[in-house]
Amino acid sequence: MTWLEDLPEGDTDWDRLASAFPEAFAAVAQLVGAAWQDNDPVLLELARLRIATLLGNETEGSLRSVRATASGLSETKVAELAAWPTSPLFTSRERACLALTEQFVIDANGVTEAQVAEVTEHLGGAGCYAFVQGLSAMETFQRACLVLGIRTGPGVDEMIEWTARHQTTTEVAP
Amino acid sequence: MKPRIPLPDPPVTESGLANTAGMAPATSTARGKLYRAAFRMRNVDPVTTELVRIRNARFQNCNY
Repeated sequence: MTWLEDLPEGDTDWDRLASAFPEAFAAVAQLVGAAWQDNDPVLLELARLRIATLLGNETEGSLRSVRATASGLSETKVAELAAWPTSPLFTSRERACLALTEQFVIDANGVTEAQVAEVTEHLGGAGCYAFVQGLSAMETFQRACLVLGIRTGPGVDEMIEWTARHQTTTEVAP
Repeated sequence: MKPRIPLPDPPVTESGLANTAGMAPATSTARGKLYRAAFRMRNVDPVTTELVRIRNARFQNCNY
């Protein structure tokens, strides 16, 4: 990876940076893992993969959440993700969330009342709030990895499991 | 700014912020930890940190 020098040795890019900044990396991992606790895994996985495409994040785009797959997300649907506005594979609920996702990533100031209202109609107020929090966590994580040159590290499920085990601590990230 | 989503009662906290208590409990707790960890980092000096924070707030049209 990476233009960062003098990092500790480690098995992955993530391990090396997490060794140098343990508290911060633990907090980032917990944020990503927590987002999955507050959201529908299929909706969040679709958003995560769409963010990866928009940001050109090939590493994230190649990963899959077992939790989302177990909840019914198929590879056929993932392959159709770029065509979500017209593909019959996507529900109106998923379309509402993907529209908000794209606008959030491209320009959060451009999110409209109608986009929020449509997500709220499907998820309720608390669900919409949780989804936006989840989007923010996914975007923050992916942008940070891209900027820092982190190409190898824990997958989504690993961070979810790690978060569940360490939510009350500030131990070193996975 | 009028909230875009329905909020619990009361909709505004004593400090004037939107009352989002309990709406995304795990994420909100984790985000608080991340903020605290970021502010405790001493790798970047406080002036640069604050300038970046304010610049980002203005870019995002955020009152913080």
